[in-house]
Parts: sequence; structure tokens; C-alpha cells
Amino acid sequence: MNKSLKINTYLILILFAIASLYPLFHVFITSFKQVEEYIENRVFLPAQWVLDNYKVAIEQGHLLYYFRNNLILIPAAMLFYLFVCVTAGFAFGRLRFRLRLPLFLTTLFLMIFPQMLLSLQIFQICNHLYLTDTFLGVILVWTAYFAPFGTYIMATYFSSIPYEIIESARVDGASTWRILTQIATPMALPMLGFLSIIGFQSMWNELPFSLLLLQSMEKRTVTLGVAMVQGQYGIPDPMRAAGIMLASFIPILVFLFFQKYITKGAFAGSLKG
Amino acid sequence: MALKKTDAKTQEKLRMDLLKTARSWQPRKRASLQTQENRDALLLITPLMILTVVFIFFPMGSNFVYSFTDWRGFGALNWIGFDNFWTMFRDERFWQSVKNTLILLLFIPLGVFIPLCLAALLRGGLKGWRFFRAVIYLPQVLGYVILGMIFNLFLRSNGPLNSLFEMAGLEAWALDWLNRPLLALLSLGTVYGVFLRIGFGTIYFLAAMGSVDEQLYEAARVDGAGWWTRFWHITLPSIRFNIEFLVVMSVIENVARAFSFIYTFSRGGPGYSTHTLEYSLYTLGFTNGRIGYASAWSVILFFICAVIAIMQIRLMRWNDE
Repeated sequence: MNKSLKINTYLILILFAIASLYPLFHVFITSFKQVEEYIENRVFLPAQWVLDNYKVAIEQGHLLYYFRNNLILIPAAMLFYLFVCVTAGFAFGRLRFRLRLPLFLTTLFLMIFPQMLLSLQIFQICNHLYLTDTFLGVILVWTAYFAPFGTYIMATYFSSIPYEIIESARVDGASTWRILTQIATPMALPMLGFLSIIGFQSMWNELPFSLLLLQSMEKRTVTLGVAMVQGQYGIPDPMRAAGIMLASFIPILVFLFFQKYITKGAFAGSLKG
Repeated sequence: MALKKTDAKTQEKLRMDLLKTARSWQPRKRASLQTQENRDALLLITPLMILTVVFIFFPMGSNFVYSFTDWRGFGALNWIGFDNFWTMFRDERFWQSVKNTLILLLFIPLGVFIPLCLAALLRGGLKGWRFFRAVIYLPQVLGYVILGMIFNLFLRSNGPLNSLFEMAGLEAWALDWLNRPLLALLSLGTVYGVFLRIGFGTIYFLAAMGSVDEQLYEAARVDGAGWWTRFWHITLPSIRFNIEFLVVMSVIENVARAFSFIYTFSRGGPGYSTHTLEYSLYTLGFTNGRIGYASAWSVILFFICAVIAIMQIRLMRWNDE
């Protein structure tokens, strides 16, 4: 590559890097500005870095409640989600049974319907089952909604395990359950890592279902709590910014630690069908 | 054409399966293994099936039922036939939502083209390409709710973008991005339809380009093909499937995933100017409480999504062959 081309390439990349970081950077510096300062100084670094906004966001925004809720809700939902995806994914990917193809295609078909399309009715159903405003309701609904995609990913992965391995275990008298737990699942660990990250991100960022199901303040998730603040007028921007920072630091940490999984998995998930 | 190919292969496979099954009838033991496998498989998919039947199929079905009623969340169901649909087709908001959704789709080509270019640049293997890949992907991890809030803050009439324009002496560019009907929709399209597509699109194309056979490039280089020729004649045809896949994905994101972003970015406003069909379901069903009427809208959205889903499944299976 010649030199001027190289410089141009770098310029373009730097431009996009700035564009993708700047909005977040702006929120970051704003969250440390005093409310009065932000009126005058929107763009530059704060003259004085203060933590007041974070204090207000945590105390008046009930963020500690929300973090506690996420801490209970997300691990529980994740475990259930992984269980459902692995069992169904294994059945679709590696077992032969009647109606396999029609059922699998139906699962694929379900992947795209928007949450809003379902949530009017899901709200009624949960009302009848006494699941509104409970964590159990959200866990079930989240799993039902996100599992078809996870199942698809696991099914494609399991179908890449050679039949011979499964067959020989079967000839040795291993039950399907043992094959799944002791042979197939250990082989699928990298994919499970990717699936966990996808599941975590979708659940952490989920809005429509939690918005409708978790009505009381004490039950809200972090994302929901911060989104509710957005609708209220008269909250100064620096405080909003602090809320945004608090809601995003965990997803950002997850990304930084598991970047490799994400970049690899994003492809694996959609390459094969 | 592609479908026919699939059909032929599927039939062939079915025939083989049938043969296998027929053969397996003879030794007793294999037959029992087969039924055992059948039973185990059905047991393993039970959790998924129960969940999807209760929380996906049943709600979808109820949408159809409720669309023939004027239910408002309480009281008895009152059948009104197709009235909701007639009202809907005469409802200005419906056509505005359809129009807004279609306008958002116009942003897709740019939202696919930019990642394609960035991936091609990053693939050049410049020093630090991994860093750029990570930075470009980063906004994606925040989720639409948070991103909506960030860009709402960023684009306000007194926000940082306009401050930057003013400092640069471009007062004329400092527009009220979120409060003028058409402008708000275009802002939504630019941010959601283009900017937020870049992160995933870039790593996706980058990975796809990584799996192209290196020998093709070698051969082309020997033949003296330049960078552009190689990109046009090797890279693009090799990842054609991935491009199509990303287009379909973008359609899905615009038609069926935009609610969370719009909710914090513009709340569908000003007025109805950033309401997509999906977002209107929320306003109608939850803000106005007209569940029966909203269900009629859901039925329309259901059919749109069904068409997209079938397109996507076809694409995935075609690639599988």
C-alpha cells in the first residue's frame, strides 16, 4: 500500500472512531459538570469535576434498587435461557425425530417478531397468571422471546459435531441426557460463552417487556429505571448523563473483557443456517 | 431457482432418511433406539415449546381475535367485525406510520455500504486495525435505550452538536434536529438507520471477508489485479450472501426493533412524526388504551414481519446448501 493511500485510510478510520466515541465521551464529561456550568459550557471539559450528579442519580433515581434487581433477575434469567437453548438446540441440531424440520423452521420464524407486537397480549396473559410485577414473569417472557435465536445458534453449532462421536457413545449405551451433558455441552463451551454475552446484552438492554410487566418502582431494572427518567421534564442534562453512565458501565466492561467472543461469535451466529 | 435446488436436495435427503428408517426396521434394537431418540428429542424441546406457545403463539393468535373487537382493557368482548380495519385504513396516523417506516428503510443502503467500506479498509491489515474495530463496535454494546438517550442529549437544539456548529461559525447548520417533523424523522434515520448499523456491520463483513479463500487473492495478484479489481471481482461476489443477510437484518431492525430507541430518542414525536408501525402499537394500546384497535394494527405488522421472516429463512437455508 502506498503512503498517501495509507494516510487517507487512517484519516477515514480516525474520523469514524471519533464519530463513534464522541457522543459517549460527551455524556461522560457532562456527567461530571455542575448543572450551572453545563448551561454555559456544553462542549469543553468541566472546569471542576464534581460527583454531585452521580449522588443525585443514585439517591433520588433509586439506582441502587435497580442494580439489585438486575443482580437477581439477570443471572436467574440467563441460567434458564441457557438451559432452554442448549436442550432445544441439541435436539434440533443432533437428534433425529419426527417434525424436526417444521418445528425448527417455526422456531426460526419466531425470531423476528417485534416485542411490541406481542406485549399487548403478553400483558393480559401475565395478568391472568398473576405474573405482572414479578421477576418470574419477566424471566419467562424474556426466555420465551430470546430463546428462539439462542436455539438456532446452538442448533447450528451442535450440528457441526460429527455424528460418529454421538453414535459411538450411543452404541456404548450412553443415554441422550448423558451425551448432552457430558459430551456435547463441553464441546460447545465457546459457543455458550458467546450465547451468554448475547443473552446478557439483550436482557440488560431490554425495554418493552420490563416496561409493561414491572410496574412498581422497587421492581424496575436499571435500563427501565433510566429510561423512565427520560420521560420526566425538568431533570437537568448532567444528571441524565450520570444516569446514562451508570447504566452503561457494566455493558462496556463486559464488552472490554469479552471482546474476542463477540467479534468471533457475531459471525458464527449468522453465517451458517 | 435457489429454492428448487434446495427442494431437490431436501427430497434427496428425505429419500435417504426414508431408506435408513426402512432398513432400521429389520434389526429390532435399532428400531427401539430410534423411538427412544424420538422421545428424548421431544422431551428436550418441551421447555422451548411451552414457552413459545404461551408467550409468542398465543399472543399472536389473540391479536387476531382482539382485532375484531373494540376492547379497551376491561369489560366483555364486543364483536365489531372488520370495523377496526376500516377505521385504520382511514386513519391518517396509520398511513403516517407506514410512510415513516418506509422512509426509514431508505437509509438501509447507506447503512450497509459504509460498513462494507470500513471492513474493506480494516482488512488491509494496517497497524492498529483491531483497535479501530473495537472502537467502531463499541456503541453497539450500550443497547438502544441508552443510545436513544445519548443521541437525544446530543441532538437537542441547545446540545453539543449545535454548540460545535456555532463555534465553527456554521450557525445556519444549528437546526432543531428533534423538534421539526421531517427533520426529526431524518435524524432518526441517520442515527438509527445508518450510524448504529456501522458497528455490527463492520465486524460482520470483516469476519466474512476473512473467510474468503486467500488463494483467490494470490491468483489475482499474480495476474496483476489492483486493489479495486480484487475488491470488486473477488471480495464482493464471495460475500454476496453476507451482504444480502445484512440487508434483511437491517430491515428487521427498522421494522421490528426500533421501539426501544425511539422511546428514548424522540418518544415518537414531535406529534406522530417519528412513529413507526411498531411504535404506534405502544401509543395506541398503552397510552390510549384502545387494545382492540391496536390489535388490528398488530395484524398488519404481523403479516409484514411474516414476509420478512420467510425471506430471512430462505436466505439462511439457501446458504446452507
